[in-house]
Amino acid sequence: MAHQAHSYHMVDPSPWPILGATAALLTTSGLIMWFHFNTSYLLALGLLSMLLVMLQWWRDIVRESTFQGHHTPTVQKDLRYGMILFITSEAFFFLGFFWAFLHSSLAPTPELGGQWPPSGINPLNPLEVPLLNTAILLASGVTVTWAHHSITESNRKQAIQALALTILLGFYFTALQATEYYEAPFSIADGVYGSTFFVATGFHGLHVIIGSSFLSVCLLRLIKFHFTSNHHFGFEAAAWYWHFVDVIWLFLYMTIYWWGS
Amino acid sequence: MQGLKPIVSTESPALIFGTTTKLASDLPATDSFLGKNKVPDLQKLFQKADGLPVHLKRGVPDKLLYRTTMALTIGGTIYCLIALYMASQPRNQK
Repeated sequence: MAHQAHSYHMVDPSPWPILGATAALLTTSGLIMWFHFNTSYLLALGLLSMLLVMLQWWRDIVRESTFQGHHTPTVQKDLRYGMILFITSEAFFFLGFFWAFLHSSLAPTPELGGQWPPSGINPLNPLEVPLLNTAILLASGVTVTWAHHSITESNRKQAIQALALTILLGFYFTALQATEYYEAPFSIADGVYGSTFFVATGFHGLHVIIGSSFLSVCLLRLIKFHFTSNHHFGFEAAAWYWHFVDVIWLFLYMTIYWWGS
Repeated sequence: MQGLKPIVSTESPALIFGTTTKLASDLPATDSFLGKNKVPDLQKLFQKADGLPVHLKRGVPDKLLYRTTMALTIGGTIYCLIALYMASQPRNQK
């Protein structure tokens, strides 16, 4: 019986990459149809197929690692590089929105009344809900680290409690942001203030939801005994992502909420 | 089937992971907190030498989900091409 003479993972042939690309095609064309012709069937189809591909692709990775043992230390090292590169690319994504905000806010035009915040805009008080949100995300950074330590120390009950608490804090943040969005005295259509505020915080909120989902999957896997005390990279990747989301919020809070008010 | 067979064998799945980590069976009974460890059984299932690719390894539920995804994506692509073709037709100026 032939065995591989290397420590890399030659994956089984898989339909998910090409189906994922097709789902992206359907989603983007769906956006066009929705914007220009007010029909959302194609968009719904695109998002649904994207969800199905993601579920099955990541399910297969869990099968390949936890159940088939393909994730050797070599493979794990490469996955770490991959996750770090991905998070770096996301950092650049947000950098663009911070650039846009600073471009407009450092030299406010006469149309804005030559000031920032522009005339007529009542910004949110940074010492109210935004400060609470900052405390919530910082606390969640502590609880996710607590969960990690519990995993490495094989303390199952504490790991589950700490990770569950992290996810609850994430949901609490999202709920509070949603009420802030609803109650805000300005909208995305209120000039460049509204645009920069809602696009930057909106994409951040989306990343909180993505991070919470990633952590929830990790909680499920933790309960199902997938992680060992020295091999739990899925959890580490989720924790890195979560810390990244926290750091982005801190920058948002300091620049847009605090300096920008 | 790919040229090289996978390195994992069907016997004794515990050999894949280092024995330095605690096995669930070593933990005291109180640690059956929230369900028992089914990972060794699943390891046996997914390491069966049946030639199936990992995305179909579980049999019927995998096949159903795969076919549903394929149907939605291919159907959607056809719909997408028709919609884009129609959208590219010039509107008649009145």
